[in-house]
Amino acid sequence: MANSDSERRVRDYVGGMPSLPTTVSKVLEVCNNPKTSPIDLDRVIQLDPVLMGRVLKLINSAYYSLGSQVTSLVRAIIMLGVNTVKNLALSSAVLDRVSSKKDFRALNMDAFWRHSLCVGVTAKLIAKRRGIDSKGLEEYFAAGLLHDIGKIPLNNALADDYIRTMSLADMERISLVASERRVLGLDHCEAGEVVAQKWRLTGAIADTVRWHHDLEGYSGEFGDVLRTVAVADFYANREGIGFSGNRYPDKVSPDTFGLLAMEKSMLEELDEPVNAEIEKAKVFLKLGG
Amino acid sequence: MFTVTIWGDRGSMPTPGPDTAVFGGNTACLEVRCGDRLIIVDAGSGIRPLGEKLMREDIKRGPISADLFITHTHWDHIMGFPMFTPIYVPGTKLHLRGPISYEDDSLEKVIGTQLSYRYWPVRQDELAAKIEYEQIKETTIHLGDDIFVTTKYLNHPILCLGYRIEYEGKSFVTIYDNEPFRNVFPTDPSDPNYDEDAAREGEEAAAEENEKVLRFGSGADLLIHDTQYTAKEYLKGKIGFGHSSYEYAINSCHKARVKRVVLFHHDPNRTDAELQELELFYQARLRGKTSMEIEMAREGRSFTL
Repeated sequence: MANSDSERRVRDYVGGMPSLPTTVSKVLEVCNNPKTSPIDLDRVIQLDPVLMGRVLKLINSAYYSLGSQVTSLVRAIIMLGVNTVKNLALSSAVLDRVSSKKDFRALNMDAFWRHSLCVGVTAKLIAKRRGIDSKGLEEYFAAGLLHDIGKIPLNNALADDYIRTMSLADMERISLVASERRVLGLDHCEAGEVVAQKWRLTGAIADTVRWHHDLEGYSGEFGDVLRTVAVADFYANREGIGFSGNRYPDKVSPDTFGLLAMEKSMLEELDEPVNAEIEKAKVFLKLGG
Repeated sequence: MFTVTIWGDRGSMPTPGPDTAVFGGNTACLEVRCGDRLIIVDAGSGIRPLGEKLMREDIKRGPISADLFITHTHWDHIMGFPMFTPIYVPGTKLHLRGPISYEDDSLEKVIGTQLSYRYWPVRQDELAAKIEYEQIKETTIHLGDDIFVTTKYLNHPILCLGYRIEYEGKSFVTIYDNEPFRNVFPTDPSDPNYDEDAAREGEEAAAEENEKVLRFGSGADLLIHDTQYTAKEYLKGKIGFGHSSYEYAINSCHKARVKRVVLFHHDPNRTDAELQELELFYQARLRGKTSMEIEMAREGRSFTL
């Protein structure tokens, strides 16, 4: 398949990208309730990478000329108002009803959701332990939650090819991103860049989406967030929390840990808090398993 | 010469009748003159009589040319546009600027849809005037002739801009429609929805955003501020409607060292008698405490800066 054809189909899909099926019923429940509390709204959006991305797009496109990106959901809710955010979440959730959940897709969305959340939570916890200022922590969470967003259009707009991509990665024991390049001519980082542009995300989130599988090639100013998310991604894959199709991930080089001035052993201490956060999310969404 | 004239000051809906004859029943419209330049802020129902005046007086000096700034696209701020006579006159030039919310529609479509067959006998395509539409965000625009217009996002359920117009060393600012930003996250640890991070960040964000609005109005010679409610009314069931109280407007303008404040966007249920009473009440409260002057907006009132 030609790269340009894949890219065109990805672009066509991104405009109407729905919420994740895992979170959609909770989104509808929270947002259809006229007495919804802002904290519930905050919680439900934080659990859905698509919704989170769309809210950030909204705030940053409205306030685009301000120069500084808003990456915190709490601030977005205060600036946009609860009702605007609720309506946006509802429209995103309703989109999902149009797309059929019965269609076979390569990636299991529940598992994908769990992986995304785990990377977001882990990135934030690592940043906190490294003493990053509390004002900046949400950026680590958002970048982690959204890092694999490019897989959603690949999984849906190029569904058949994506099944072949995952099979090839399994058979040849190569990373998913390498397999994507071979089969689709377009990897999920490039597809993610399309999503980020469409949502007008820039800065640390966009750079993480684009570069999290090419740390050496990155020369921008958000290396700290990028490397933290790469480590969190490695952790989620190693621990098998959720699944985003990457059974044979590339290793994270010792340099990355060095640049973050953290010991790899710090990851062992994260098991308990990460699992606690994911459990909380599951209870909130009333998920089984 | 830098002047501001109020053509409409009522909030939400026009309110004609004997109870509103003094302070006025037309919705928002302000005429600003900077030398020979005409700037209009908002196209509420007050723009209709302004249009009539332009056709009586200004047209004698040549075609009408104006910069029209819309604060936001809620109905009471755009409803007069189809009745603004100059748009039907060949030679009229209008540069219409304003914010549009999160929809993908253009400003032209949002405003111009009022001029469609189902709502109005004349379609937008049939207008004789040359109208240029421009969607704007937070920015500073040099209009030429040393007139500068700076914009600031306010807090309203739709994107809404305040305007700061500077000319000949003087400044005129609009802060409507605007509700103070507030922390919507619970700050009481005993609240079942309490979240420490959200509570802290919510407090910081609301305070910072209010501070930015305050700075925007800082030192204004004339500032027109949203005051739809009294503080008591606001707290009793108007939180989240996107409007300020008299108390908030007066206090924040005092902090921002504003010289003259005009209390604007009167609630549609407020009668002349009530507005008169409130004006006297707040003026008496301030007497001797500040050099800042305050008054209720009255239709037809002009200010020279």
